[in-house]
Amino acid sequence: MAQALSLLLDRELLALNRAVGELRRRNLPIESLAVGPGDAPGQARLTVIVNTDDATAEMTMRKLHKLSGVQSATRFPVRDGVARELALVKVRVPPERHAELLDVCDMFKATVVAEPPEQAIVQLAGTGAFVLAFVRALERFGILEMTRSGAVALPCLPAE
Amino acid sequence: MSVAELLSGAQILCRVLVEEGVDTIWGYPGGAIMPFYHALPDVPEIRHVLVRHEQAAAHAADGYARATGRIGVCVATSGPGATNLVTGLATAHMDSSPVLAITGQVPRPMMGRDAFQETDVLGITLPITKHNCLIGDVAELADKTRAAIAIATEGRPGPVLIDVPKDVQNQKTEYRPVSGVGRQVSSARFSLTPDTQHLTPPDDRVRQAARLIAAAERPLLMVGHGVILSGAYDEVRRLAEKTGIPVITTLLGISAFPESHPLHLGMPGMHGEVHVNRAIQHADLIVGIGLRFDDRVTGNTKGFAPRAAIVHIDLDASEIGKNVPVAVPIVGDARAATARLVAAVAPRRCEAWIAEVQGWARQREESYCGDLSPENIVAAIHDAAPDRCTIVTDVGQHQMWVAKLYPYRRPNTHITSGGLGTMGFAVPAAMGVKLARPGEAVWAISGDGGFQMNMQEIATMVQERIAVKMAVFNNGYLGMVRQWQQFFHGGRYSATPIWSPDYVKLADAYGIPGWRVERASDLEPVLARASAQPGPALVEFVIEQEANVFPMIPPGATLSEPIEAEPAAAAGD
Repeated sequence: MAQALSLLLDRELLALNRAVGELRRRNLPIESLAVGPGDAPGQARLTVIVNTDDATAEMTMRKLHKLSGVQSATRFPVRDGVARELALVKVRVPPERHAELLDVCDMFKATVVAEPPEQAIVQLAGTGAFVLAFVRALERFGILEMTRSGAVALPCLPAE
Repeated sequence: MSVAELLSGAQILCRVLVEEGVDTIWGYPGGAIMPFYHALPDVPEIRHVLVRHEQAAAHAADGYARATGRIGVCVATSGPGATNLVTGLATAHMDSSPVLAITGQVPRPMMGRDAFQETDVLGITLPITKHNCLIGDVAELADKTRAAIAIATEGRPGPVLIDVPKDVQNQKTEYRPVSGVGRQVSSARFSLTPDTQHLTPPDDRVRQAARLIAAAERPLLMVGHGVILSGAYDEVRRLAEKTGIPVITTLLGISAFPESHPLHLGMPGMHGEVHVNRAIQHADLIVGIGLRFDDRVTGNTKGFAPRAAIVHIDLDASEIGKNVPVAVPIVGDARAATARLVAAVAPRRCEAWIAEVQGWARQREESYCGDLSPENIVAAIHDAAPDRCTIVTDVGQHQMWVAKLYPYRRPNTHITSGGLGTMGFAVPAAMGVKLARPGEAVWAISGDGGFQMNMQEIATMVQERIAVKMAVFNNGYLGMVRQWQQFFHGGRYSATPIWSPDYVKLADAYGIPGWRVERASDLEPVLARASAQPGPALVEFVIEQEANVFPMIPPGATLSEPIEAEPAAAAGD
């Protein structure tokens, strides 16, 4: 079952290193890791999506919680919240296919965010599966490069 | 009223250590830590002990910390000095011991350029410290050091490491001593585990535990290191005496409850007595206090205490439910939580249950040739030791014999490497214990394998006049590994026979008295003379080569499946 672990860390690589090291040591099936700014200055947010049972996720969360540099740790099954990632995809678009690209983007509520000559960089937010479906839809254009952020997540219900 | 002074990082480090009450540190100088060593002679409050290998500095600091409950400090230079601390820090981490390691680092402009004696000690020690950090500027040195000590000692203790670049040690800044109030502020600011420090156990859980105790027919108390760390001896004893529940002490819980107490059962687990493990398997309630249900205690957890509901008191929430399912979790300090439980329980007795358990106890035939048995040796060491004596053991067969046979009476007088099982621990750790308890006798008991891992520290004892008594159980084998080979590997003694030097001559070379004991009749006179020595002394016991520790739960088996005698002649592969 996909579980989201959401950690507020001291904003230093050592804290991130410690948290990721604990995950590595436990050999968990990690689906994605996303790191960004936290809620306050000096904080970072680490979101981990991991496929595991409730008990393992809970034990992992408690272990993470006590690490030096980890300010808070919460978890919830992804199905009890939302998990979304950002994808940037660079495709080849000759001018005559530009309208076709916009149609595909429209279907997925994606946006063209940059247009180098004969190319377009498209931005999409969504679940992992949604992003993959979008990438498949773009394949007909020829994908030059892409990058995905890993998921960030929020619970719909209070975590505890 | 504090006045700011312009001091170097090295001087500030010394000042902070003094402020924090540090009186003894263990270390080894080298290039990147030289400014600190340059400042040290101006600080008479701190005694520095020069070890012969940095691993010994970490073990000695650990021993000092375990004996005092206060921070133990070790110092090393960058690179090899820092990496040599690793085993000691991992040992302290597994056994929750508050150790501060101070390492020199190459100057900041050299970092990341593969400089001479540069190593990423933060990266190396990340998973074996409770906290570690680089001191990036002298301005943060004092606060980060105070915070590191606070983190090491608060909550569940553990080792911390601060890495101080050489140029930061030389950098100058204004230094203000911090008063008691300021210290609390700084430690609260860096407080690590807000959810476990203050926790008073919720009343309903304590009441629930008390109800289970009242209803149980076969209850047990299992107590571990947490009882020693929190000083919960009286509370545990009152709980046992009020309820009549028999008490099991784990390897690190030994001496938390008097061995001579009628309610004391013994040590559980891999080498626990049969009746102790059987009691666990028949119990309908286990109240665990300050232990972590380690695999050496539980055997195969699938078959551990199949009939028992478990009440688990521990300061560290992540320990509860980690290895065994827990019916009533109580997150809190062992002393406070046990005191509440004592108040909540109704007086009762467990006489029928205790009689049942005692009925399972039986004398075992020792597989022993000659009269210099572990029983005789341990009894003789005890008889020769003064009333106040701490035993530090190494890892292996002798460790189990001493754990099972030495009649500990006073709390925290048994110190050993439990979680990590670090051979070579006893000799250096005993130096730390001795300086922490100068008025007491301290014995370091090792096997011939573990002793040879750190016997270089005899030189430290001589130079620093640290009067540790050393006992070596010499059977010419890495005995515990040999025992496993005999039991589980068809008797193929691969790489376990081990040659020893002449220990009497070795002692002589170091200028300390040494004896070799080969007969039980020599035990008393030799141990009397060794004990009477004002300085360090070494006694070698030449014991039966292939003696085994019984009983033994095979790895992966449950506590219900002990081996109680030699396997039939090795079946071969």
